[in-house]
Amino acid sequence: MKNKIVLTMLLLAMVSGFVFANGGGDKAADAEKTKIVLLVKSLGNGFFEAVADGGVEAAEELGNVESIYMGPSSATAEGQIEIIETLIAQKVDGIAISANDPDALIPVTKKAMKAGIRVISFDSNISSGGREVALAPSDTNLIGQQQVKLIAELCDYKGEIAILSATAQATNQNAWIAVMKEAIKAPEYKDMKLVDVVYGDDAADKSYREAVGLFEKYPNLAGIISPTTVGVLAASKAIEDEGLKGKVQITGLGLPSEMQHYIENGTCGQMALWNPVDLGYSSTYILARMIAGDIEGKAGDKVDAGRMGSITIGPDGETIMGEPFVFNKDNIAKYASIF
Amino acid sequence: MNKKLEKILQNRELNLVLLTAVLLIAVTLRAPSFLALKNIERIVNDTAILIMVASGQLLVILTGGIDLSVGATIAFSGMAVSMLNQYNPSMPVVVLILLGVLIGTLLGAFNGACVAFGKVPPVITTLGTMSIFRGFTFVLSKGQWVTAHEMTEAYMNIPKGKMLLLPNLTIWAIVVFIIMFYFIRYTRSGREIYAVGGNKTAAHFVGVSEKKVNFMVFTIAGALCGLAGVMWTARYAAAVNETALGFELQTVAACVLGGVSLAGGAGTLTGVVMGALFLGIINNALPVVNLSPFFQMGIQGFVVLAAIVANVLMEQRNDKKLLAGRRR
Amino acid sequence: MKDIVLQLKDIAKYFPGIKALDKVDFTIRTGEVHALIGENGAGKSTLVKIMTGVYQPTRGSIFRNGKSVQFKTSHDAQEAGVVAIHQEASMFSELTVTENIFMGHHLKKASGMLDWKAMTRHTADLLNKLELDISPDTLIKNLGTAQRHMVEIAKALSVDAEVVIMDEPTSALSLKEVEELYKIVRQLKNEGKAIVFISHKFDEIFEICDYFTVFRDGQYIGEGEVAKSSIDEIVKMMVGRSLNQMYPKKEAKIGETILDVEGLSLPGYFSDVSFNLHKGEILGFFGLVGAGRSEVMRTIFGIDKKSAGKITLAGEVLETTNPGLAMKKGIAYVPEDRQEQGAILEMSLSHNITLPQINDLSDFGVLNSKREKNVTEEFGNKMEIKAANWKVNANTLSGGNQQKVVLAKWLATNPQILILDEPTKGIDVATKAAVHKFISEMAGEGLAVIMVSSELPEILGMSDRIVIMHEGKVTSLMNRDEADSDKVILAATGHGQGDRHE
Repeated sequence: MKNKIVLTMLLLAMVSGFVFANGGGDKAADAEKTKIVLLVKSLGNGFFEAVADGGVEAAEELGNVESIYMGPSSATAEGQIEIIETLIAQKVDGIAISANDPDALIPVTKKAMKAGIRVISFDSNISSGGREVALAPSDTNLIGQQQVKLIAELCDYKGEIAILSATAQATNQNAWIAVMKEAIKAPEYKDMKLVDVVYGDDAADKSYREAVGLFEKYPNLAGIISPTTVGVLAASKAIEDEGLKGKVQITGLGLPSEMQHYIENGTCGQMALWNPVDLGYSSTYILARMIAGDIEGKAGDKVDAGRMGSITIGPDGETIMGEPFVFNKDNIAKYASIF
Repeated sequence: MNKKLEKILQNRELNLVLLTAVLLIAVTLRAPSFLALKNIERIVNDTAILIMVASGQLLVILTGGIDLSVGATIAFSGMAVSMLNQYNPSMPVVVLILLGVLIGTLLGAFNGACVAFGKVPPVITTLGTMSIFRGFTFVLSKGQWVTAHEMTEAYMNIPKGKMLLLPNLTIWAIVVFIIMFYFIRYTRSGREIYAVGGNKTAAHFVGVSEKKVNFMVFTIAGALCGLAGVMWTARYAAAVNETALGFELQTVAACVLGGVSLAGGAGTLTGVVMGALFLGIINNALPVVNLSPFFQMGIQGFVVLAAIVANVLMEQRNDKKLLAGRRR
Repeated sequence: MKDIVLQLKDIAKYFPGIKALDKVDFTIRTGEVHALIGENGAGKSTLVKIMTGVYQPTRGSIFRNGKSVQFKTSHDAQEAGVVAIHQEASMFSELTVTENIFMGHHLKKASGMLDWKAMTRHTADLLNKLELDISPDTLIKNLGTAQRHMVEIAKALSVDAEVVIMDEPTSALSLKEVEELYKIVRQLKNEGKAIVFISHKFDEIFEICDYFTVFRDGQYIGEGEVAKSSIDEIVKMMVGRSLNQMYPKKEAKIGETILDVEGLSLPGYFSDVSFNLHKGEILGFFGLVGAGRSEVMRTIFGIDKKSAGKITLAGEVLETTNPGLAMKKGIAYVPEDRQEQGAILEMSLSHNITLPQINDLSDFGVLNSKREKNVTEEFGNKMEIKAANWKVNANTLSGGNQQKVVLAKWLATNPQILILDEPTKGIDVATKAAVHKFISEMAGEGLAVIMVSSELPEILGMSDRIVIMHEGKVTSLMNRDEADSDKVILAATGHGQGDRHE
């Protein structure tokens, strides 16, 4: 009987090992090539899949670069730390990280840099000291201001507005929300009021529930800003299910492919997102240039980033890629097919 | 306390009704609209999936086991059916539902086979399959989501819409409840589950097969997860890889709240439904009572724990009375 | 006169529905080995638990060196120098000998740290004294049964016990090991320790003990010096009661042979067991604990698999493979431990009673509640189960009524053969009599009954014939009229029929 237990457990272990080996996406090592890892918040997220595509695109253009896509199965800092430890052991050349926690990763990324690995962060950044370059998809100010402008346009510059965020600790979400709170004080938004910020933890059921809770709490709610794909998706569905289409407007940051349905049927008039393909593309370019010694990664360095043109490294390594892109009925179909 | 109330309190489910009422009043004091009929209907509908899956979990816990893979089973079957719907939009909804149930049944049967024939303890089996099924979901979807524009209207309408004044999803839960209630209470197999959970040796002595029972409960739990997977993805119009992440704990909590003994052999379906509704109320109340999000999770845990402790205390007091009565 | 170290006066211990001990006096003196004698259920274990602080007496007082004391916990008793060595050594098998011996009274250094060096040294001294060739660092799980017992004794010595209680210490030991144990007991005696020696075996009592006290049904019966008594006297004190009242055995017409067992064996438990059973007969199985009686029954019922032998039921050779099949063939088995094996406590009475036949009570898997109700009421009433209704859970009933539920459950299957394993163990006198009456009636109606019991009066009072087993073998088969307690006890302790011990 004991043997049976051992056997079954072995089988279980083998099957799970197989599954995750696939999920990890390892490729045959090629000693000649520069290995650049795109380490994302979690696997199975369409946004990051597009980032990976950008990485591959850049790697192909650069020629001698191998782009590796990795991430933990759930969005935790612990999962990312484990992966980075492995990468140090494997002696990759560079890592670009979208961090689940701005500070928790610092010790391990420092260790990586000490081991000669170039580390930059993108999308959700690591605090200063834990990376060389922090590539923001866009400027926090720009994003926050744009979100307020998008919802204002949708609800005629008046009414009660609420924000449906991811988790209460999400770095980038909180930074954008802070800007939105400031931006809405501008004179053109004098008839609009930000009434609440709620958190859907990037889970469909919780986000949906929080959206419904907003309708309950604020019967006169005019609009919701949800700067996260799961949130904007669940809120759109809630608006539709509760028969509030047209009465409650929704905008946010979302993947075109996931939001196509709601944008096409008018539940969501418009939303924005930077192009994740570009993000993976730019990150890979910056890392490749750093590894090749073309640039140091210091403030003022100008990176020749292929089709993205020239990107300038800002003070303290903080660098901005570009401006968010607005999706609406007219262009959604085209972008939905890309990411 | 008067006699009538005492008599009522001797029933664990009624204890929970009382606690639920206290919770409702507490929430309503902060958010008066909470008790509106429409909102109650909404809460029940929101809890429908939990009720389905928790009733499967009940069977497993009754045998003294636990199924930690329910969330992953929901995710996998939900993803599989959503993808079928995406790539074969013409496939009838009935077929999709049946396929969802079938996929769940197969995954559950795998759990059941490991436990019953492989003799692997349920916790270890389902801890493993929790990751395996979730991993399979990634492999199957290649990390992609299936969302509203890739689903057919008919698919998204499965839980939506109304029939007999009630939302469809609620009706699905009621149907599951009735079938499971009947199964647990009036069939031979239902009785055998309690026998194995209550006393393995005694059950063996009367010829009840523990293997058969173990295999059966995991398979049924899987089937219900399969159905829940269809409902979940159709309801939120999204099949993602993280669907129902951590849901297993909610189902276990619903059972424990409902008075199901984790040691097996004791517990009722009505108790579990009450437990699920209690959780549903908390889930739906938290967004409307204006609490800091940092407190929400802690408060949820605290309320659940407090309810369980209160329930156990009330029951102990009743047991003492019962014993005292017997000695007299 | 030797000094009295521990004295119990007028001790009573009641459990709900049962008087486990009543009006008990017990006196222990230094330098004496004191035998505590009684049948199973006479209250010996309860007394030991009171002496060691596990139970609190309902009434009565305990005197230690003449001073009244109360042992609120086993720790109190240990402090007072009273230590018990249990039947089944209660040790931590994953810990070392030293760790076990000092569990609960670790030696500490001045700093408060545990002083393992000192403890190991002490352990080595103790083991040396007991002439045991064991390292103090050996894990308990690597020791044999006898060695574990010795470690238990070492543990008792480590707390400098003055009263050492040994509960059936030889039951798991080989002859050679028993000799070693005797040596240690004598050594302890010479050191002036008081030893309470609980045993079933008369040869042991006469070999090692100086004094004895007899208990029966929770009451003190008498005491005396071993050297001045005979086995016969002690057996009479152990058993002596009016057999007819408790055991209303009716004359039953013994019918044809229904079960024939030939050469049944299960290695390690019993070998070459043969007997037959007739309709209307009550066949008693007597023996000491561990004689293999229950295992024979479990094998007949198909729970354990026989290694050899033939079971013939009503002319058909039965290759029972599982309990389900045995049930179908008309065998019902009421196991000894009703908590572990009998009733399902969290289940209602009705569900308990109908459980063995839910197959027959359901149509296409759906239970027929009306037929279920009929069965429940018929057999529940027949057994006179006292309960509020049939829907209450089994755990709300007293032990006696739980036993009735288990009996009802099996009788409801309408068996041809009813096997009862210790049917009245641990239940109160009134229920006991009811169960006896019932068994007698069922036999009168032609049911073949096998009754395994360790209670001699029950065996003598109820059985038409008695099979006596000793260490896995049938040592004797007696008819009702030729059996008496002496003969039966002697056969059960491995002495041939009629042999007399001096």
